[in-house]
Amino acid sequence: MTAILLVAVGVLLVTTAPRVLSALPGLRRSPRAALLLWQTTALAGTVCVIAAGPVAAISIWPLDRRGIDVAAALVALVASAQCLSLILVNGHLVGTTLRSARRRHRALLRLVGDDHRDGRLTIVEHHTPTAYCVPGRRRRVVLSTATLSELPEDELDAVLAHERAHLGERHDLLLEYFTVAHRSAPRWLRSDRALSEVRLLIEVLADRAARQRTGDVPLARALVRLAGSRTPEAMLGAADEAHVAARMDLLATRPASAWHAAGVYTLVVLVGLLPAGVLALTM
Amino acid sequence: MPSARSSLGSLERSVMDVLWAGPEAGLTVREVLERIETGKDLAYTTVMTVLTRLADKGVLEREQDGRAWRYRAAQSRQQMTAEAMRDPLESIPHEEKTSAILHFIEEATPAEIASLRAALDAVETRAAEAPKATGQTESTSSRSVVPLRRRRR
Repeated sequence: MTAILLVAVGVLLVTTAPRVLSALPGLRRSPRAALLLWQTTALAGTVCVIAAGPVAAISIWPLDRRGIDVAAALVALVASAQCLSLILVNGHLVGTTLRSARRRHRALLRLVGDDHRDGRLTIVEHHTPTAYCVPGRRRRVVLSTATLSELPEDELDAVLAHERAHLGERHDLLLEYFTVAHRSAPRWLRSDRALSEVRLLIEVLADRAARQRTGDVPLARALVRLAGSRTPEAMLGAADEAHVAARMDLLATRPASAWHAAGVYTLVVLVGLLPAGVLALTM
Repeated sequence: MPSARSSLGSLERSVMDVLWAGPEAGLTVREVLERIETGKDLAYTTVMTVLTRLADKGVLEREQDGRAWRYRAAQSRQQMTAEAMRDPLESIPHEEKTSAILHFIEEATPAEIASLRAALDAVETRAAEAPKATGQTESTSSRSVVPLRRRRR
């Protein structure tokens, strides 16, 4: 019984919750709390589904009943083990893909980039204003010479603060975690909007760091200046639609109050307690 | 040994600079060695090792010229830089989308850029009305973030 309920709650958390969360743009006003809510939801869902097998097995112990129970428990155990191995395999695949791509990218930067400030900043000579960061080992921010020449000092500060927030807070790991969760869910259950929303929240979080450093206006100006500047050859159409506009709109609204974040954190605690709650209810 | 690796990295960079500045037909190891300016004496074998490694990676093309190999860059500096500014994972299917690098901004369509400008006006208006509400900290210490002149190495 407990096992069935665990699976039900787990599936609900993995499938329905992301759809609900990505339909609540208000959450973007407290990006840190919102990201934690996303993480907790994904983690609690996974824990529920994986715990269902062992719980089912324990519930029919000792095995002195009819064979059907034993068979059910075995099926549950196998399903749990399968979920766990799926997550581990995907984690490995995503991790190796990312790290080898970054290694190749760093090798390329070695040939065309100039390192400044002990290798934390790389400048490449190009007529397109670009700014990005390469996370992981030997992390760095990369700017093109056009960015340096076209952006005033305060806007450059905003861009750098944004990228350093990504690197300093290891947003890449968050993204990796959600990519793994996304891939591990069955194709007909998962929603692409969820991953897109998480990507946006990470940008909003980095924007907030930039806002605190330089204020809203330099960041907003830098967004506009760099938005139209990426070259057509770099456009493969894989951009998350409307992200830029959403970030801009957030800059035009007042930052959320502490109450807003506190409300989201309360939700985080509730969701986090769900697996334990299900166990406590039925034991 | 990170120091050894980074010095080899900067040597790769110097070698590419020499080849990009050199003739179309490419250069031999001896010619690269003559032109390279690293401020220290390099061994012939060191330069040859770097060239061979870059050729193995496909960064350089080489062809036999008499008894020596001629090396030349497979791509121009601009082509290679443009490649560096793209996400290496950009071509994987969208639903599996993951990023090796995090861009400050994704591409925007012309329509989006127009609405961005309108939104920028709103941000600037709000900042002008309530200078305190924007969290602006007047940082008067205008330390230059980066040396604005490109350092040639």
